[in-house]
Amino acid sequence: MSVAVEIAGLAKTYPNGLRALAGIDLSVSAGEILAIVGGSGCGKSTLLRLVAGLETPNAGSVRVGGDVVRGPHPAVGLVFQEPRLLPWLTVAENVGFGLSSLDAGERAVRVALALERVGLAEHAQAWPRELSGGQAQRAALARALVTRPQVLLLDEPFSALDALTRTALQDHLLELWAFDRPTLVLVTHDIEEALVLADRVVTLRPRPGRVDDIQTVALSRPRDRDAHNFEVHKRRLRAALNQSLAPDTLAPDSLTAAAL
Amino acid sequence: MTVEATAGLENGTLATAAAGPRPWRVAWPDWRPLLLGLALPLLAAAGWEIVVQAGLASGRLVPPPSRVAAALWKLARSGELWPHVGATAARVGAGFVLGGAAGILSGLAASYSPLFRRLVDPALQGLRAIPSLAWVPLFLLWLGIFETSKVALIAVGVFFPVYLGVMAAVLGVDRKIVEVGRIYRLSGLALARRILLPAILPALVVALRTGLGLGWMFVVAAEYMGASEGIGYLLVDGQQLGKPDQIIAAILVFALLGKMADALLMALFKPALRWQDAYQGGR
Repeated sequence: MSVAVEIAGLAKTYPNGLRALAGIDLSVSAGEILAIVGGSGCGKSTLLRLVAGLETPNAGSVRVGGDVVRGPHPAVGLVFQEPRLLPWLTVAENVGFGLSSLDAGERAVRVALALERVGLAEHAQAWPRELSGGQAQRAALARALVTRPQVLLLDEPFSALDALTRTALQDHLLELWAFDRPTLVLVTHDIEEALVLADRVVTLRPRPGRVDDIQTVALSRPRDRDAHNFEVHKRRLRAALNQSLAPDTLAPDSLTAAAL
Repeated sequence: MTVEATAGLENGTLATAAAGPRPWRVAWPDWRPLLLGLALPLLAAAGWEIVVQAGLASGRLVPPPSRVAAALWKLARSGELWPHVGATAARVGAGFVLGGAAGILSGLAASYSPLFRRLVDPALQGLRAIPSLAWVPLFLLWLGIFETSKVALIAVGVFFPVYLGVMAAVLGVDRKIVEVGRIYRLSGLALARRILLPAILPALVVALRTGLGLGWMFVVAAEYMGASEGIGYLLVDGQQLGKPDQIIAAILVFALLGKMADALLMALFKPALRWQDAYQGGR
């Protein structure tokens, strides 16, 4: 399978001296769904922002389809933790925001299809403030998918939603993914979400963020959240996550910081 | 009870929103507060009218409402008023458009480009510290005593509040919204047009209204300095010929024009601000 995203030796230190990421190597295949989990402050959101081209790394590189990422890439979409719909545009105009290069006719067709797919066709002319949290995030998904990105990045996209809406949207994301099978890179703090969606789950260890563990989820889709096998995977991933949160045995934080 | 009422209210709101077409609110204005607010000035005017009519005062320096109304009516009926209104409105209009446009453009540039801000903002802030009326003699010298100097003075008055308002508003735009634009590779003018301008529109309207108010202030100064036409000229004329009724009539015309211009500005922007989900004030 061809490589969609290639991350090599990626490091990010913020101007205030905080080392968010150090030496990340990851490669994501085309059409793969990769989940990134880790404790808070492990740099998982920073990693996603680097892939999106919203931040510049201090070392290393991100390649998308062979191009080195130096800013937002046209083949990459991003769904934020909040819907971030533009309040002055209707739902349809929001979804069509990234299609300004198309003529109005084709844009309308694409937007209508995208809204249909996320089940918001009858809300096309509504203002964002009139949508519920789940509807708004579905609109944000439609906005990101309507440009048919090869890579879709999702930064804890469902974490602000209630549990029922969250599971519904997880299933819905898989349905949407099935249309064009883009590569998905999903950051989450929810073990179950990672296991429902992903082919592989990467666990990051914090301060500075490094890859601590990679698990393959060998479960066929659709996945039953209550199945025994799912429980086994959950236990295994939780153990990896706990392990990543344990203090470094060889080089405690303070020592590493002092040595560097 | 209160909890239930609130829940019912929320359900109602949700139902309307889900129904598709936006609710078209027909709100009849409540006139009672207006009447209450008018009570004091009307009472004072009526009182003064009675005092003068009864011969207790001559009303020579403070004319009663009837005399002001008569003066206004005479000006309007003879057609003398309209060229004055036209001249003043044209000056304010031209100054507002020039100063407003300059204020928007430099406010956007100053907030978008740190270099422009460091280069230009200190100088502009320095110029802002000069009371704008102090420019009058210089403008008269540079631009002559006719329209150009008047429009320039008004434009200067309009420029600063618009510049400041736009710059502050852009610097206050939510980074998260700007990132949406960045993800779609917008920068420069496209980012300004598609993200920054719509995001600051509510603040821009406030800045423009403040600017317009100052424009009306400065047109009086400009016309007071020497004009053969304009409402400000009617003020000067009234002073020199000792016609306080004409002065008060001119003041009333100024108030009316200012209010109308403000209402027009609000009406122009209203369709573009329908999306707002803001506190309605006391509701």
